[in-house]
Amino acid sequence: MLKDITLGQYFPSNTVVHRLDPRTKIVLCIVYIICLFQANTWLAYGLVLALTLSVMALSKIRPSAILKGLKPLIIIIALTCLLNLFYTKGTPIREGWPITYEGIERAVQMILRIVLLIAGTFILTYTTSPIELTDGLELLLNPLKRLKFPVHEVSMMMSLALRFIPTLIEETDKIMSAQKARGADFESGNLIQRAKALLPVLVPLFVSAFRRADELAVAMESRCYHGGEGRTRMNPLKMKKADAFAFILGALVLAGFIILRILL
Amino acid sequence: MTMNIIEFKNVHYLYSDYEEETIKGIDLCIEKGSFTVVLGRNGSGKSTLAKLTNAILIPTEGEVLINGISTADESKFIDIRSEVGLVFQNPDNQIVANVVEEDVAFAPENLGVPSEEIRDRVTGSLKQVGMYELRKHAPHLLSGGQKQRIAIAGVLAMQPEIIVLDEPTAMLDPQGREDVVNAVTKLCREKGFTVLMITHHMEECIGADRLIVMSDGLIAADGTPASVFSDVEKMESLGLDVPETVRILYDLKKEGFDLPLTSLSTEECAETIIRGNLNKYA
Repeated sequence: MLKDITLGQYFPSNTVVHRLDPRTKIVLCIVYIICLFQANTWLAYGLVLALTLSVMALSKIRPSAILKGLKPLIIIIALTCLLNLFYTKGTPIREGWPITYEGIERAVQMILRIVLLIAGTFILTYTTSPIELTDGLELLLNPLKRLKFPVHEVSMMMSLALRFIPTLIEETDKIMSAQKARGADFESGNLIQRAKALLPVLVPLFVSAFRRADELAVAMESRCYHGGEGRTRMNPLKMKKADAFAFILGALVLAGFIILRILL
Repeated sequence: MTMNIIEFKNVHYLYSDYEEETIKGIDLCIEKGSFTVVLGRNGSGKSTLAKLTNAILIPTEGEVLINGISTADESKFIDIRSEVGLVFQNPDNQIVANVVEEDVAFAPENLGVPSEEIRDRVTGSLKQVGMYELRKHAPHLLSGGQKQRIAIAGVLAMQPEIIVLDEPTAMLDPQGREDVVNAVTKLCREKGFTVLMITHHMEECIGADRLIVMSDGLIAADGTPASVFSDVEKMESLGLDVPETVRILYDLKKEGFDLPLTSLSTEECAETIIRGNLNKYA
């Protein structure tokens, strides 16, 4: 059950999108989110949708992969939809009904907005390996070092966390099986009872996570880790022509959306 | 001339939250290029011994010299750690990256090695442990023995002279254990690395040049594996077993057969028994 989590999952491939520099992809993802939140007309939404679909086609991501990732968010999407549907003022679709035409429009737009937001960020994580992502973030945030923000440490923590997610999930499964074998019941009872039943899983999990962290720290020191100072990389990030092209495209799209917003 | 690459001089170590010293005065010299195995029960201080070799722990009394440099010299700790590659018991807790080759690159990256050279070192290290084909894999999907060999490649990438392994096979299945021991033996015999391996598996001591038995923070026995194991009573008094082969010869000896106890491999042992009997009935 725990193995279904598609958190930060990466699908290795060799498409144009995969080959782009992670910094480019992170910046473009932010531009994409800005465009999406700018959108307030059907035309703008249509354009964002077309953009998303074409990038998906370019990176050879199957729509089913995105839909699978959307599954855990279905409750949030449904709730947003219902709230917008019933609480938007306007012309009711029939006399006395709480649902308005404006409500339907907003609800559909809201669903589109959430789905597109998630699809956009998923394209980023599906096409960029976790190491590239944290490396890209580290370099993008580098200017913050002047403000004494521990950029390297944060990015190292992120990549270690990503490295240990599968290990800890495996461990959780093992502990749950061990507790089940001793008669623990995780499936029945109300929410509070179930949360309580998880306590015998969480305690050993945390104890072991701390022990792992301790051993990992010693192992890292043994391999001469002494912070980000003077560190080199095996695969240093390099901006290529395709990145410049992508940036120009991104800037044009952003400009286009701003003009659209002003005109309409 | 033989050179002592590791030297312990009256080393004591006391963990800050313990009452009693874990290492109670050890004098030890390890020759360059040799294969030494340290055997001992749980709590005998063998893991502490490993951590003392690369300046993770600094002796509370006495000193440890690596190539003549004291581990207490703080300005040299990077040099010492890149000279002494330390591999730990749990492969999961020493792998830092999501891709095999990225993990092997971790140490040279820390040392500030130029990118092209890192690539060469990673390729070389992975080939030495026979894991080059799996360089793009995710470590958590590999078997224990494979993970442990990646951990070894990870320290080889520092280009150390010494490899210290702290119970590298304790969490592995028999196949993984064999692969790891073979890889380590090859590194010592063919590539000239000095190996110090800590273990509690008797069978892993057989191919070594030297066997050191630790008990209660002190060296209890030191010599070739054959000579150390032949003192069966002493090994038993230290709470340790001897290999099956020595056990058979010992039991036969007790029954009145006059056999030497120095045969460690199965073939040698069989030969000794046959020859011994031939003498008796000749």
